[in-house]
Amino acid sequence: MATPGDHPDGTGSRLQASVDALGGLVDAILDPTTERDRERRRIVALCAPFTALLAIAGAYPLAEVFRISVSAEQYRSVGFSLQAYETLVTDPYYRTVAFNSIWLAGGTTLASVGLAIPIAHALEKYDLPGEDVLVTLVSFPISLPGIVAAFMILVLLGNNGLVTNVVAVLTGREPIDLAIAVSAPGLFVAFCYSMIPRATLILRGTYAEVDHAAEEAAQSLGATPWQTFRHVTLPQIRPGITGALILTFRTGLAIFGTLIVIQTVVVWTLQISRELSTGYDIQVAGAMATVYFLFTFAFTALGLRYTDAEVGL
Amino acid sequence: MTATLLVVVAFLMVPVVLTFVGSFASEWSGVVPSGFVTLQNWREVLGLAASIGSQRSMGWDTLFSLGGVTVAVPSELLFSVGLALGGVFINLLVGVPIAYAVARYEFRGDEWVNAISVLPLVPGVILGVAFLRAYPNLSGTSFGLIVGYSLLKAPFMVMAVRSEFESMPLRRLEESARSLGASWPRTFLTVIVPNARSGIVSGAIICWTLAAAEFNFSYIVWAKGTQPLALFLQRHISNSSFTKAAAAVSMFFCIIVAITVLLQQVGSRGFDTRG
Repeated sequence: MATPGDHPDGTGSRLQASVDALGGLVDAILDPTTERDRERRRIVALCAPFTALLAIAGAYPLAEVFRISVSAEQYRSVGFSLQAYETLVTDPYYRTVAFNSIWLAGGTTLASVGLAIPIAHALEKYDLPGEDVLVTLVSFPISLPGIVAAFMILVLLGNNGLVTNVVAVLTGREPIDLAIAVSAPGLFVAFCYSMIPRATLILRGTYAEVDHAAEEAAQSLGATPWQTFRHVTLPQIRPGITGALILTFRTGLAIFGTLIVIQTVVVWTLQISRELSTGYDIQVAGAMATVYFLFTFAFTALGLRYTDAEVGL
Repeated sequence: MTATLLVVVAFLMVPVVLTFVGSFASEWSGVVPSGFVTLQNWREVLGLAASIGSQRSMGWDTLFSLGGVTVAVPSELLFSVGLALGGVFINLLVGVPIAYAVARYEFRGDEWVNAISVLPLVPGVILGVAFLRAYPNLSGTSFGLIVGYSLLKAPFMVMAVRSEFESMPLRRLEESARSLGASWPRTFLTVIVPNARSGIVSGAIICWTLAAAEFNFSYIVWAKGTQPLALFLQRHISNSSFTKAAAAVSMFFCIIVAITVLLQQVGSRGFDTRG
């Protein structure tokens, strides 16, 4: 911390002014006299429970994790050392793990959002028979944890999986050679199983806000369905798509349960768990957690700030 | 477009149906399960038939004894139901007020409050590591699990309730109630909140299902004792025969479907009698 002597007087008085302002705010909240002050007090009271939970269950534990990751000793938070971060940067193994995380989450995000656009389009634009049932069926996997998604993929693509055997019959090859559940492609499909329903949910919300009148006008002026989509619908849903990409990518990075069942590619979350289970290296695990947090925070903040992304359901 | 939709629905649903059907088969080593119909898998998973080792099934806890009749429930089930309800309870306390603050008022930094409350802060694995470090004695207990679930699932509550609030004429409701003499806390609790019940109930349903299915956080912090449901499922998926794992997963499907229907019913009737 800087001492007052380090600053020119202007900064000091501005600091003093903001301290006064803060004191005034506290006064206003504790003993409101105007309606504006009362409103402020209400806002603070409404936000207080969430803030308390966030501080106790979120901020403090994360601060502790950061503290141990720069500690000089392994199990106690003392001193300062960047040893754990040095390991992350210099060991090529961790670079591979980071790379795995990015391409797996990135690839599945593109695939999932790519599929979710036509799904949301079909659900919101066409009068399909049994639409409510279809919506329920597409949304059902949202409540399934990753381990169950992995099991679903074993059922489809495992050694005696349905798809495996159908392909085996068609091509005349052994099912054992065709089973891809426990492989990188299988994992890719398992990720998509979890992510498509979430991306669809987000994009359905976007589609619900599309201006139908403009689309109908385009159609009646002779635009083909594709032209209507390209020039009228797409510009309207683009912020929603960007938002869906950001949120789905976050989901993809966070996936963990699926990897416990299908352990073929080591990604960041799985490696964090391994640091703890083999030798309880809380420092490296803490450093990895810190890097993860900063990375997702940074790209979400930048994504929301510098694109037209809309986030919400 | 419709074709894509149908293919994806098939991709999502075929394994679910196949799993459910397979759970009643005695063997599933070929393409399709065979040896129908047996309840042996279900019995073993639910702990009604003996099983050993890592394939161990659920224990049974006595729920209550009344006049010689003992009602017992599978302990893993009861445990997870309770944990998830605890998480939902905290979510209601923290989620409803902040959703109201964001929907009703304009204040400096409201965009930030909004973003922080609807974006998941950290994934379960990271939060698990953080809990282990910050609360070494508390993290593996039921209380630790409940607090963790509530933070992880809070965004879903805030989103559901906020969108309900945004569809209501909040300012008008508040002003009418105030002009009739109700204090502000009273207005909030007896006018605003009951009017938003459908959003609150659907938020509670979503949070409950997600908390009951939580795996990542539980896997990191859980140490000993009764396992949360998702860990129980994982043990079966990794260790048991395919049919038995199918029975465990199917049981989970049934719970999700049953609770969703049940809470919807309670939500639309229970609250209505008051208003």
